[in-house]
Amino acid sequence: MKDNKIHIYRTRTKFLLGVFVSILTLVIVRFFYLQIVQGNELRELREQNINAFEYIYPKRGRIISSDGIVLAEDRKVFSLATDIEQKPSEQSIKKLADLFSEKIIVEDLRVKVGSSIRYRRSEIVIEKLTQEDLAKYLVSGADITGFSVIEGYERQYNSHPSIFHVLGHMGYINNSDIKYFSPRISKYNSKLWSKVGKSGLERVYEEKLQGEHGKRFFQRNARGDRRVITDISPFREGEDLSISIDFEAQKLAYELMNERKGSVVVIDLQDFSIPVAISTPSISANDLRDISSLQYQDLLNDPARPLFNRAFMGLYPPASTIKPLLTIFALNNGYTNWDETIFDDGFFRFEEEERVFNAWREGGHGLTDLEKALVESSNPFFMNLSIRYEKNLFVEFLKSSSFGSKLCEDCYPHQFSPLIDDDWKYKNFGKELYKGDFINLGVGQGYMLTTPLHLSLISGILAKKGEYELPYLVAKKQNKLSITEDITEEDWNRLQSSLVDVIYSPNGTGYRINAGELKLAGKSGTAQVVDINSREEYDEVRVNPLLRDHAIFIGYAPHDDPRYSIAVIVENGESGGRVAGPIAKKVLEELLNDF
Amino acid sequence: MIFNLRNSIILFSLMIIILMGSLTIYSVTSIDINYFLRFLLINIFVILLVVLLFNQINLNRIFSFGWLLFLFNILLVLSVEIFGKEINGSKRWLDFGFLSLQPSEFMKITYAIFAIQYLRFYSFKFSKFRTIFLLLVLFLSAVPIIAQPDLGTGLVYIFLGLMFLFICGMHRLYFISMGIFGVLLSPLIYSFGLTSYQKGRIVSWFSSDQTLSEKWNILQSEISIGSGGFSGEGFLNSKQNEFNFLPEADTDFIFSIYAEQFGFIGVFLILLSLGCFIVMTTLLTMTEKRLTSDLSPYYIGTYCTLVIGFSFLLNILMVSGMIPVVGLPLPFFTKGGSSLLCFSIMLGLIFTSRGFLK
Repeated sequence: MKDNKIHIYRTRTKFLLGVFVSILTLVIVRFFYLQIVQGNELRELREQNINAFEYIYPKRGRIISSDGIVLAEDRKVFSLATDIEQKPSEQSIKKLADLFSEKIIVEDLRVKVGSSIRYRRSEIVIEKLTQEDLAKYLVSGADITGFSVIEGYERQYNSHPSIFHVLGHMGYINNSDIKYFSPRISKYNSKLWSKVGKSGLERVYEEKLQGEHGKRFFQRNARGDRRVITDISPFREGEDLSISIDFEAQKLAYELMNERKGSVVVIDLQDFSIPVAISTPSISANDLRDISSLQYQDLLNDPARPLFNRAFMGLYPPASTIKPLLTIFALNNGYTNWDETIFDDGFFRFEEEERVFNAWREGGHGLTDLEKALVESSNPFFMNLSIRYEKNLFVEFLKSSSFGSKLCEDCYPHQFSPLIDDDWKYKNFGKELYKGDFINLGVGQGYMLTTPLHLSLISGILAKKGEYELPYLVAKKQNKLSITEDITEEDWNRLQSSLVDVIYSPNGTGYRINAGELKLAGKSGTAQVVDINSREEYDEVRVNPLLRDHAIFIGYAPHDDPRYSIAVIVENGESGGRVAGPIAKKVLEELLNDF
Repeated sequence: MIFNLRNSIILFSLMIIILMGSLTIYSVTSIDINYFLRFLLINIFVILLVVLLFNQINLNRIFSFGWLLFLFNILLVLSVEIFGKEINGSKRWLDFGFLSLQPSEFMKITYAIFAIQYLRFYSFKFSKFRTIFLLLVLFLSAVPIIAQPDLGTGLVYIFLGLMFLFICGMHRLYFISMGIFGVLLSPLIYSFGLTSYQKGRIVSWFSSDQTLSEKWNILQSEISIGSGGFSGEGFLNSKQNEFNFLPEADTDFIFSIYAEQFGFIGVFLILLSLGCFIVMTTLLTMTEKRLTSDLSPYYIGTYCTLVIGFSFLLNILMVSGMIPVVGLPLPFFTKGGSSLLCFSIMLGLIFTSRGFLK
């Protein structure tokens, strides 16, 4: 009996020992696997646990005008944020709310502190501390715990409204920005950027301006409320951007517009850079930075459209200012010569359709040749020419004058002047172009629309005798271009002297500009806002300022060695010669006096 | 005291475990060297005190108090419900100011002493009635532990109690039938007997979703162990502990911190010491020449040795991700008064039963 019990005891103890040793062996194998086989992998995981880094937002590059004025730069701003390593006491929260009672209320502060603790991240409680704020905070610093001052940058622009459209503005990144930048910037990581260029040069040169983030490496604990900084690699500041805008001339042009809607664009014919590009009315670029969405809506709904960049986007009928360009086309294809004359009685009768077109001057210009038609701006002369135009040649010519293509790679947003061909008319009216359309096109009316930038370029084409390049604000993109037509040197000289006569001949539509010493050549135009079929209607229209004609002037100076071309558009300004011309004169004087 | 080679090896293995345990607690909880010395001294003092105390008492005297001790223990467990302090959503501890005790820890000792007193009266003859009575007492006394809720301790208590009855010679038919019964009943127990927290632990163990918090604990534990590599990061160099990535680093998961600091070599050393201590002690007890008709000292000695051994292994299986997380202490490592006291008492019982110190 006793032996049996001892036997059972020994057998069972041996069995249990066997189980124990088996499990012990299993455990040793398991630890061998974890520590020797998987050791490096698991250690890597541990390093990932502990070592983390955060990005340091870089300082954005400056934008500097050709006359050395800093138009945009990042300025250091200080903000107050919660400190994740130290929970603020209730007392501190109350004291801080008292201290900045005009900037934050205690309930909001509590919410922000709460979410900071919950998500273990630093939350900004007061943005953009002024010097006084900073002093106030630092003085009472010992009583308030759990908050810290952090540095950041804010975009600061030259506040003159003339520069807003060229510079553009910054805003919080959204999906369409990501779509825009992803193909343009290599390895674009949208998650790193909070504010990006929304328009203008800020958008086009985002990559150059944005710089590169720095990194702050640290070791952190599991809760994320303790961190030890181990290394910092500083950010790379964005590159400065030198732009072609001459800020003095730009400001002058804006002020000369005197609150009227319109645009002035100047191209430097030496390199086709753009020293002046204004759109009026405008706002200060800083205004757009901190406004509410409601105020933004107001700006969008403003009938004067201050946010719309007329210089690169506005489409206007070029009216008479297209005549010199079409003269080249007409001369080269033999549609006319310097000797042909017609009798201008103030009307053009299109017999095929039995329609009568009015010209601007009552009674007409009498016996008119090409030179007189340019100087005095005779519509019937050019209408008479345009019914002879061969459609395909005309379209080709317009295409070579950069209709229907992008003019400027770094102008944003950018609109090109539509190329009026059969496709265009089909798309818009479901019909082909017919003869009657050319009568209007021939005098820059009807379907023909150009941007101020394009008009300035057309003026440049005239000045440079058909050879031109695409204009730019920062960097030249494309090589030399030329129009398809090739008239003789003598024809060019007569055409250009006609444009001088426009200004200096007493009959010229630009004589009242009193250009004097400037050596200006140019062409004025008056674009109809509404179709007018009779003189009575015309008088009615003059009463409503919004229906008044747009005043247009294109020109270049000095005419014997062209340096600048210009286009001026004053919406509802009525007379190109009297209203737009003097603005062009003063802007060009300013630019040429610089030298 | 009989100092021969075997006893020296046993004592030496035990000293390694106690020393390493104290070092690890020190490395987890504090960087003050005084704290370590105090801790080591307290450990050794408590162990020696308990061992010597038990040595002075005749084991038979202790056995004769079996049912009283057991009843007192059950009352303590029940009183936790009323006076206990709550930690992590369950009431397990009685706070005595200078130390907090977890009475359920002691159940595995008092049940064995109670069973010895009961069986010894019948010369360890398992009749049907006695077997069922002892099993009923075991299962019913586990109920208040499980209700705390502390499923882990409760299950381990039942498991160890059964192991004790197994050592004492209960008929194997009962084990077989209980095994079958348990397997059949487990889906029912899972559906109706478990809280969602307990279910979560079990589900997470089978799930491969690394984001579950239970899984996260195990992952962090494995990261600690693996980071130790072959030779370890060195004493006081546990980064997982320094940066708080390992929860319960001073209690249930303390072995992971040990493994990170001392590497596979350290783990092997501990397991070797444990193996030596458990196997040699058990074998020596079992092959004792002077086995008398009263086997109770051998039963209790073997039982206590194996409890220390299996407790150790269960905890290590848990921290290395081989079984679900159950809050089991690691003998002589885990920081906590009741665990230290409980395992010291077991050491006392082991040494006394063998007449080791005589």
